[in-house]
Amino acid sequence: MTERVNGIGLGLRYDLATELLERRPKGVSWVEVHPENYINRGGRYAEILDLAREDWPVVTHGLSTCFGALGTFDEGYLNDLRALLKDLEVPWHSEHLCIGAANAHFFHDLLPLPFTDEAVAMAAQRISEMRDALDLPIALENVSYYAPQSADGLDEVDFVVEVLERADAKLLLDVNNIYVNARNFGFQPEAYIDKIPIDRVVQIHVAGHLVRDDGLRIDTHGEPVPDDVYRLLEYALRKVGPVPVLLERDNNVPALNELLAEVDELWAIYERATGEKRAG
Amino acid sequence: MSCGRFTNAQRVRNVLADQLKAMQRVCFDLEPSETDLAALGSKERWLVYRDLVRSRLINLVGVAFARTKSVLGDEAFRRTIDDWLSTGGPETRYLRHIPRELFEFAIPRWRDQEPSWLSDLAQYEITNWDVRYAPPNRIPTGEFAFDRIPVLSPAVQVLRLSYPVHCVPIPPSGYEEEPSIVCVYRDKHHKSIPWKLNPIAASLIEAWARADKPVTETVHEVAAAHDTEIGPTFVEKLSAMIADALERGILLGGRADPQ
Repeated sequence: MTERVNGIGLGLRYDLATELLERRPKGVSWVEVHPENYINRGGRYAEILDLAREDWPVVTHGLSTCFGALGTFDEGYLNDLRALLKDLEVPWHSEHLCIGAANAHFFHDLLPLPFTDEAVAMAAQRISEMRDALDLPIALENVSYYAPQSADGLDEVDFVVEVLERADAKLLLDVNNIYVNARNFGFQPEAYIDKIPIDRVVQIHVAGHLVRDDGLRIDTHGEPVPDDVYRLLEYALRKVGPVPVLLERDNNVPALNELLAEVDELWAIYERATGEKRAG
Repeated sequence: MSCGRFTNAQRVRNVLADQLKAMQRVCFDLEPSETDLAALGSKERWLVYRDLVRSRLINLVGVAFARTKSVLGDEAFRRTIDDWLSTGGPETRYLRHIPRELFEFAIPRWRDQEPSWLSDLAQYEITNWDVRYAPPNRIPTGEFAFDRIPVLSPAVQVLRLSYPVHCVPIPPSGYEEEPSIVCVYRDKHHKSIPWKLNPIAASLIEAWARADKPVTETVHEVAAAHDTEIGPTFVEKLSAMIADALERGILLGGRADPQ
């Protein structure tokens, strides 16, 4: 299954799924789903996932088991997740390197971990535990953050790399998040990518973001991919080679044709940067 | 207590635990405290997080309780959400279960509020929401038959309402009291549909949902409980009701043994 996940993928969203499944556009090579949206859920959701699997490999990206948490995992959820991932035959499972809950209450958003050695140790341990529980490679995703970090901590990229190395984990490289953080905190996004251990990158996310009136960039997944993010994607692909790239669009979801035009743009970059050609 | 009694790892955990608690309070308290905002480092940016976290949840429950919200008014509905969040935030990892958490918190106060049909409306809306997001269907081992245990879709709930809040739009003068029983189920298009039932049909659906007795036995028990004779008229209505329930996807089939 792993070798089948390549090229450009799209998130399997309920509001686009019917048209996507009818048209089966050739530009879409695989789909990504959030397990939380499918576990113990019937009706059309279950049908959509079954139909998508007929044509596309599926990759999973979790939203709620972030690696920045104290306490034990929810065993019931892990069991449900393990069953779903086994059924879907996913090559890896990814989650965010951030805080998603505190004291058994969920934020339903991605809050920043402090970039400290202590947080590295905590996240690395949780990644190892999750890998053991799921018996699958685990990829962490670098997230956007908006609150400045304490001056005595690590740089973000050093924090991410340290977690990767200590946990022996894979990376879901989100180039939009790197770009957003670079613009919000004033660093060179290419320098961030230069420090990434490329052999750990299994997947890339690309998306658009919101620029507020005060200039702060927010990772909304609700805008088209801007040219600067396309350029950063090309830079990343030239370094890491032909890893699968997902176009994320979760809000202000446009007509499918508009998304497919972005998929075409991503394919052009993918082919140029990696030399790999799209099928068909 | 002296710091010397803690190991370094324990101290680190305590620092992180304190940060997590501060984040939780900043995001969910009625008003974030200056102390917490200062501890987290940037008041302006942590207020951004507060807004992001709350906006997503507020939008979600606004969709789930659209009609309840319109009756209560934005301000009163928002106050209820704020009060609910101030208890610590959602306990579920599933976005789809969040409206149910709000409902459990809010229904005692909505029962005491005007109009008198408000709590029925909220109950009806959360039932529709729950039905749409219910688990996958159970798999029957055979067709529906009177000597088998009936297999009912898990996306079915029977509601006993004092007001006909399933009728839309809301009348200009509000709903008049009119007890009714509605079976809410998920159809093949993933929509929740109300199906008005009489008391015997409702009892049958509820008995079949328990999935512990063959159909014949449940029919005799329900008829006895409703002091109703099983004659030709009853059988004719029962047959029509079963055919309708099968057609709607409420009844899925049968199985030989209880689950």
